[in-house]
Amino acid sequence: MLQLAKLDRKFKEEITAEPGGEYLLRCLSCGTCVAACLIRRVEPEYNPRRILYMAAVGLREDVLGSPLIWMCSACDACYKRCPQDIHISNIFAAFRNIALQEGYTPPGPVAQINERTCVGCGLCVEVCPYDAVELVQKRVLGREKTVSQVDPTKCMSCGVCAASCRSGSIDLVDFSDEAVFEAVREGLMAEAA
Amino acid sequence: MVDAARHPRIRILSYAEVQRVGGYIGNFKVKVLQKPRYVLEDRCNGCGLCAPVCPIEVPNEFEEGIAPRRAIYVPQPQAVPLVYTIDIDNCIECYKCVDACGKLEAIDFSMQPKELDLEVGTIIVATGFDTFDPTPIEEYGYSRYDNVLTALELERLHNSSGPTVGRLTRPSDGQIPRRVAFVQCVGSRDSRYHEYCSGFCCMHTIKNALVLKGLYPDMEISIFYIDIRTPAKSYEEFYQRARNEGIRFIQGRPAQITEDPETKNLFIEAEDRELGEVIELEAEMVVLSTAAVPRQGAEALGQALTIPNDPSGFYMEYHPKLRPIDTPTEGVFLAGAAQGPKDIPASVAQGSGAAGRAGRIMAVDKWEIEPIVALVWEDRCINTTRKCGICATKCPYNAIIVEPDQAAHVIPAICHGCGACVAECPHNAITQMHFTDAQIIAQIHALLAEKAEEKILAFMCHWCSFGGADNAGTSHFEYPASSRGIRVMCSARMDRDFVLEAFRLAAGMVLVSGCHPQDCHYITGQQHAAKRFDALAKMLERMGISPQRFRIEWISAAEGDKYARVIREMDGTLHSLDLERIRVENEEARPQLERRLHRMREVPGVAEVLSIES
Repeated sequence: MLQLAKLDRKFKEEITAEPGGEYLLRCLSCGTCVAACLIRRVEPEYNPRRILYMAAVGLREDVLGSPLIWMCSACDACYKRCPQDIHISNIFAAFRNIALQEGYTPPGPVAQINERTCVGCGLCVEVCPYDAVELVQKRVLGREKTVSQVDPTKCMSCGVCAASCRSGSIDLVDFSDEAVFEAVREGLMAEAA
Repeated sequence: MVDAARHPRIRILSYAEVQRVGGYIGNFKVKVLQKPRYVLEDRCNGCGLCAPVCPIEVPNEFEEGIAPRRAIYVPQPQAVPLVYTIDIDNCIECYKCVDACGKLEAIDFSMQPKELDLEVGTIIVATGFDTFDPTPIEEYGYSRYDNVLTALELERLHNSSGPTVGRLTRPSDGQIPRRVAFVQCVGSRDSRYHEYCSGFCCMHTIKNALVLKGLYPDMEISIFYIDIRTPAKSYEEFYQRARNEGIRFIQGRPAQITEDPETKNLFIEAEDRELGEVIELEAEMVVLSTAAVPRQGAEALGQALTIPNDPSGFYMEYHPKLRPIDTPTEGVFLAGAAQGPKDIPASVAQGSGAAGRAGRIMAVDKWEIEPIVALVWEDRCINTTRKCGICATKCPYNAIIVEPDQAAHVIPAICHGCGACVAECPHNAITQMHFTDAQIIAQIHALLAEKAEEKILAFMCHWCSFGGADNAGTSHFEYPASSRGIRVMCSARMDRDFVLEAFRLAAGMVLVSGCHPQDCHYITGQQHAAKRFDALAKMLERMGISPQRFRIEWISAAEGDKYARVIREMDGTLHSLDLERIRVENEEARPQLERRLHRMREVPGVAEVLSIES
């Protein structure tokens, strides 16, 4: 049984103090965001309404340690429909910021950069919707060069960088080029049969 | 309504508009514009032979645009008076109706608008409400999908006197829907449109659901809701009856409604919170419970009557608990949804109440009004020699008459006692009874007589910030004993000179507080104060007074905790400021303050107050 007295009543104040988190307590749990959520369609466990409520009620560790807070893709389908005007993706950003400060690690995997073949053109930096890539100076194979680097706390594995890279230096772990080609081959074979 | 029409002492002016209201309680002068019907009221007997021959058809407002009416029409079959009207914007003047009317000769195209001047003692405003058009909520598809309706449209479809004679046919194909879904809170409880709950929609949806279940026992009815609100007498039992009859209540607000382009059926996506699953419901028809919104034209009428709106646009009552029927303007009362969304029993009760409130006034010959009205010192008013009239421009109630070459004149019965004119008059030629400059300055002197540098002098408006301070006291919110308060009716009354005099007397800090802009009891009073004190803050800074020593705060009567917090903060700041520094600032500012206050000394009564201590 959940003992309400043992929960962290201050947690909600930490969230409302973060930019974008101000309206957390307005939530009436109407469920509009859950029905609108695109992530939920592929991950049925992901329920933004429940997570917001858990935060408001004080289930601090459950929220910060949950892999679910890393899943919001900030598409804002929920925000557009929320009758209390709550910017839910900003609240999830607040969860992530606090989680990082507390030492929680985000679940991988994220986009992988092959630093040997990367030419440092910066196209991936421009196209990334989550500002998760930046160009850095690094020592690769004994030489100083400019390569791109992925911030694992921001990367959403959307793959736009991998698709844009001219030198083929970026790939996703779960949806690698090889895996996608294999699925295409299988699909075509099925058609032929 | 028929009883009202036949009552010998009730006169119904239909198809008419209030244009202007002047005067005061017991003596209102109302200008009414009676629009021409082009049908003579005393000749038309409502036989209705004219309408069927009219060739023009336009959407029928009463039928929510679902059915047509002719250019000559009655709004609805039970209209009172049962007199036809010609919608001249759409009429083509073919005169077929004239032929049909025949010997009665009730139609007269030469009718003109008529202006009526009425003298009345009291006014009751019962202008009702309009409904929210849900088109802006794109995810619900209203006005894009044929079979998404509003609740009022549904009412017409299942009503036996409606356009389909009570057969619930759906717009796209005329079939009776097998499954109907209701969506609650469309536009209500929505900070993007209307924050409030419209109050009656849960009940009318349950009623509609039960009506449909009665007409079509096999119909599957679902209601999507956030909360079900059925608080009044026997309403909860009504809700239980609906549940027991198999009407499905789904706790989850829909995120999206989509349409099958072939069947024109609708798919509603919502999280069923009780299941914890996102569900999709297919229905042949969807009904949206739309919010109640203020009536179109209510704002203009409110301005004519000088009655304020609350932040949601409904008329503001004098006091939400203790005088919910009165307006701040004496003699003007509110009834029904014009004051806020409410259902029939509440509207009827309020209507009876308004009649009672008005009756009290009309039963007597004399009426007592508050004596705290403004008064012009005619020998000081410069409008006698030069054109001024500033006082009249500041008055929220048009209570001041300014005619050329004459002193301004306040009509006591219209004056509500805000004091804006008193504070704004550049020549100190107008005063407020019981809140004169001399009285207030005497209070300032008394409160700052000892240890002025250690005190916070707080000016408060009666309705909000003084109420807030009182609330702080009764709620036991603690704040330091360094504050001293002076009450006036409205922040508009707080003269700039009061603050300057307080600093001249070496006050440590000064607080000016009043209502929030949307709450001002005197409509625009707070706006005058806000402008005045924003400018004064800059002036004080230029004089060398530390900006923290002068604070402007808007505090409502319910915000006792805010009042206590503000005083605590000011006290903390006061202590952090060096007492010596305050003394030095005061000394250095004194010559400028003395100079700016020279006019104040000329105000009748003030010189005596100032001479008391010297």
